[in-house]
Amino acid sequence: TVEPLEYYRRFLKENCRPDGRELGEFRTTTVNVGSIGTADGSSLVKLGNTTVICGIKAEFGAPPTDAPDKGYVVPNVDLSPLCSWRFRSGPPGEEAQVASQFIADVIENSQIIQKEDLCISSGKLAWVLYCDLICLNHDGNILDACTFALLAALKNVQLPEVTINEETALAEVNLKKKSYLNIRTHPVATSFAVFDDTLLIVDPTEEEEHLATGTLTVVMDEEGRLCCLHKPGGSGLTGSKLQDCMSRAVTRHKEVKKLMDEVFKSMKPK
Amino acid sequence: MPGDHRRIRGPEESQPPQLYAAGEGEAPAPRDPARLRPAKGSAYLEAGGPKVLCAVLGPRQAEGGERGGCRARAGCEAPAALSGRLLCDFRRAPFSGRRRHVAPGGGEERELARALQESLEPVGRLGRYPRAQLEVSALLLGDGGSALAAPLTAAALALADACVEMYDLVVGCGLSRAPAPAPAWLLEPTLLEEERAAAGLTVALMPVLKQVAGLLGSGEGGPTESWAEAMRLGFEGCQRLYPVLQQCSVQAAHWRGASAPL
Repeated sequence: TVEPLEYYRRFLKENCRPDGRELGEFRTTTVNVGSIGTADGSSLVKLGNTTVICGIKAEFGAPPTDAPDKGYVVPNVDLSPLCSWRFRSGPPGEEAQVASQFIADVIENSQIIQKEDLCISSGKLAWVLYCDLICLNHDGNILDACTFALLAALKNVQLPEVTINEETALAEVNLKKKSYLNIRTHPVATSFAVFDDTLLIVDPTEEEEHLATGTLTVVMDEEGRLCCLHKPGGSGLTGSKLQDCMSRAVTRHKEVKKLMDEVFKSMKPK
Repeated sequence: MPGDHRRIRGPEESQPPQLYAAGEGEAPAPRDPARLRPAKGSAYLEAGGPKVLCAVLGPRQAEGGERGGCRARAGCEAPAALSGRLLCDFRRAPFSGRRRHVAPGGGEERELARALQESLEPVGRLGRYPRAQLEVSALLLGDGGSALAAPLTAAALALADACVEMYDLVVGCGLSRAPAPAPAWLLEPTLLEEERAAAGLTVALMPVLKQVAGLLGSGEGGPTESWAEAMRLGFEGCQRLYPVLQQCSVQAAHWRGASAPL
């Protein structure tokens, strides 16, 4: 398109978008859990063309000195040339760093898992959950896809039983006895793009993100509580517009929760 | 890593729980036939254990400066601008192996990327893309032995999917030699077999032209006849895989034709 913004404006005037969606409609969401055998928990989420895979590896580590009763959850979002022309191989660029920090904030604020649950022996041994989110195809709205992938993968993680031998003070791991993590809340992210300072559209594609004058991501949990709000600059929003976004986020949470419950119910217990 | 302010920090050191487990009872995974999910310039390959995703970007304007370790062949007569460049990138997902793999992998990933590039260069008609570069990114999502063979095949398919002109497809096959007392060459070794092997070999064959595109081997393979036998085994393996790849490429072309506009 020669004049992409004009092209978009023509659609937005009719309250729809070039791909046929309404302004408040999400793309088809699919989720697949447990496909990576080498990871302790994994998931693959597709939001239209945007594809994110999350693999979680659990290892042992010493708890932090200022919080001897807590374990670690270390997220890392990887955006490579594989997913889009824009990225270069090498250390994480700006967008990847922002996404990683966003996921870390969501984990912290929503208390999705209690870090105390990851502690095995206070001050000596704790679980470290390395959550690696790799974007396989970037077509906008990475943050929603990553949050969903992380949640699904965490629900899929099974940790082996660990006991500390009293005499040798070494850990003894029983790989045959595994249990799921205690997931306390289910945070779901909903992203919006702001057009021309006034119009809000949900689940932007990569092209829409480029043309937008601002973006906003709202993270809600199942009780309608706000966990995280991410608004990196861009056009200002009035209070009432913000309220509309939150209501849409609450509806989206119900959609995602339903999908996830279906997926986990259909999985055969190991 | 110390001082890396671009990533979220975890503990200084961590160990996998498998080190503390009493005996490992891992049964080898059942083998799946190679399955591909075609999309624009990409290929996904699953061959039992290894799962590889490969994407091809380009051809696009070649950059003037050096980019990464993979450069065109040394001592080349024609100026590099007249022929296209192939840049290969090989990465392992952190959750692909038994131990968490911390990025960047350094030496091994660069070596495999270079091997990928050397095997793909003879196959692509790079002379048709002057002053352009093709970027091939391979991502290993799950390791299952022969880390180079599956990405090679996936890369060739991705190039075909991206409609890059090629002389033939490249098929990769991995082998490993079990240690004494029963030294035999095993085709498509699992991770366990590869770890205990005395020697390893990866062959890249162009099945129709019957030419070898690449060869990478190391270890104590015994007498030269043993290596020759291994290569023959490898070539047979490649020939057996070829019909599956042909079928998938044709299916992908049909699918693309059906979903194209107009």
